[in-house]
Amino acid sequence: MRALDDKPVSRARGSARLWWLLIAAVMAGLIAFPQAMSSPYGLHLMILLFLSVAMGESWNVIGGYCGQYSVGHAAYFGVGSYATLMLLQYKHVAPWWGVWVALVAALVVSLVIGTICFRLRGPYFVLASIAVAEIIRLIVLNWKQLTNGAEGILLADLPALKLGDTVITDWLSKTPFYYLGLALALTTLLVNYLVQHSKLGYYLQAIREDQDAAHSLGINLSFYKNVALAISALFTALSGIFYGLYIGFIDPPSVLGVDLSVQMVLICIIGGIGTNFGPVVGALVLVPLSEALRANLLTKLLFAIGVVRESSAVGGFLKENLAHAHVLIYGILVVVVILFMPDGVLGFAKKLIARGARQLSEAPQPLVGGLHGPTRD
Amino acid sequence: MRVLLQSAASGILIGGVYALVGIGLTIIYGVMRVINFAHGELLMIGMYLTWIIFTWLGVDPFVSIVFVIPLTFLFGAFLQTTLINRVLNALPQNQILLTIGLGLIVSNVVMLIFTSDYKIITTGYSSSTLNFAGLRLSTPLAISLAITTVITTILYLFLLKTDTGQAIRATAQDRDAAQLMGINVKRMSVLAFGIGTALAGTAGSLISPTYYIFPQVGGAFTLKAFVIVVLGGMGSVVGATLGGIIIGVTESLAAVYISSGMKEVFVYVLFLLVLLFKPSGLLGSSRM
Repeated sequence: MRALDDKPVSRARGSARLWWLLIAAVMAGLIAFPQAMSSPYGLHLMILLFLSVAMGESWNVIGGYCGQYSVGHAAYFGVGSYATLMLLQYKHVAPWWGVWVALVAALVVSLVIGTICFRLRGPYFVLASIAVAEIIRLIVLNWKQLTNGAEGILLADLPALKLGDTVITDWLSKTPFYYLGLALALTTLLVNYLVQHSKLGYYLQAIREDQDAAHSLGINLSFYKNVALAISALFTALSGIFYGLYIGFIDPPSVLGVDLSVQMVLICIIGGIGTNFGPVVGALVLVPLSEALRANLLTKLLFAIGVVRESSAVGGFLKENLAHAHVLIYGILVVVVILFMPDGVLGFAKKLIARGARQLSEAPQPLVGGLHGPTRD
Repeated sequence: MRVLLQSAASGILIGGVYALVGIGLTIIYGVMRVINFAHGELLMIGMYLTWIIFTWLGVDPFVSIVFVIPLTFLFGAFLQTTLINRVLNALPQNQILLTIGLGLIVSNVVMLIFTSDYKIITTGYSSSTLNFAGLRLSTPLAISLAITTVITTILYLFLLKTDTGQAIRATAQDRDAAQLMGINVKRMSVLAFGIGTALAGTAGSLISPTYYIFPQVGGAFTLKAFVIVVLGGMGSVVGATLGGIIIGVTESLAAVYISSGMKEVFVYVLFLLVLLFKPSGLLGSSRM
């Protein structure tokens, strides 16, 4: 018996060790990346990637595990970034103090929204979450004395981070933002892992699968939904604060628009909803693709292959306009994912790998395959 | 008092168009139980079609609905058979996401073709007004209300009196029972999505003389259409008509008495109140 059991266990242990090695290698690569990468654009891309991962992972807590598809998460993103930047710009409160005010503000907003919206279910919840986020956007847009309205807030200067008298960073290069973004992405990933493997996570998944059954088992629906929303809102707000400080400019459409809320949902859906690494995969798919469109790489590729000539009317048109339509890729991807990959890209890849592995293991036993496989006559 | 009547009247005028958008959404929801998040984009397509017909062929925007209605109907039927039909039995969230993705595709493709520049349709009557019982009404909006009334009446008659209309209503009431009675529910779904799209497209045509035309115009209408439909009761055509007028008047009054920037806040607050306290809507019987 023992001898028979030995083999799979050691194989599992070996693969676990392989995973840890892989994770360590990726981490080392990510930490070393700014040293090796001299172009600011490369760093910028990585920062955008981290931001997308953080946004997706934050949304995943409420949308993925708890099954509450909030399409109003821009509210927390916007409240976080507005609170921090307003304090910094008008009251000269350093962001590492302002961030706490912003988080409290996001928490309060999440409790208000949760109390209103969690009375509703399914599509009604989706609609209510959009409506509340739109109300917040319109208030920010119209309260000009406080928020500078449609003109937005342009950050004049970000004070250097000092510990005692030593300057840790003066924020002049992209490198400190890179590490901050990395830390944010890793934190949200860890939060997802902790939520998924805690009692809270099981309650949330029970609510997602069947609210009424969960309720009858004694799970307090509105309490656990609100807890999940609060966690999600806090980290969405952190992402918003990071965005505001990094870009240095915020206005209502960029940090409070419905598009942003939709983007957060799509990162999860495209990657694989309700899984730890789904949002990471989603960000890895979406950010490079939409940046390639924005930087006109796709048009250049079409020219290079020779599908369209640059001098032709269509070529000139594509060169002119395709960069503006980078959101198009989100639309196409989400339709493809919903229709053909209900578990997202990650789930689809896993299925492909599993099928490949099955075929490999079945290969030496053609009889079994022949019995179950389609027959020709 | 005069100001009140004046703003209420212009609210009713725009409310008629809102009603058309809402009826389209409610028919689609009623027959397929799919919430169409691309509804505003369908309206936007109607606006662009009208703009094309106006600038290239010189056809008056109100006359152009003769072309817009069949074109948008076919487009809707095409969308239903190629995309929506595949998710009829999927999770509601996935249906919503599919239509959100569809909306993104439509608005971005339009942006690719026409760029995001604002377009306007200037007619001889675009900024003229007419006097009605001492009130000054915008001529294009008054014409659009008249056309809306005719279209809504035809639609009511179609749904109530014709066999096909009754089949659509039967499908909306109980899909399985309708199928057992020998109704081709698949065909009814295609028909319903086509009618819904055509209504949204027509609404787009009707407001094109008074609105800016740009690819992102749809988003605001999508949300407004939901407010209207939820207010009237999901799936109720009469409710959507009533809801459209109520929303139009609310917006108009809020714009005059409070602030035009905040008028939509009142619409959304009204929406949340209805969702929380009367989720079945004013005339609906369906509950969440």
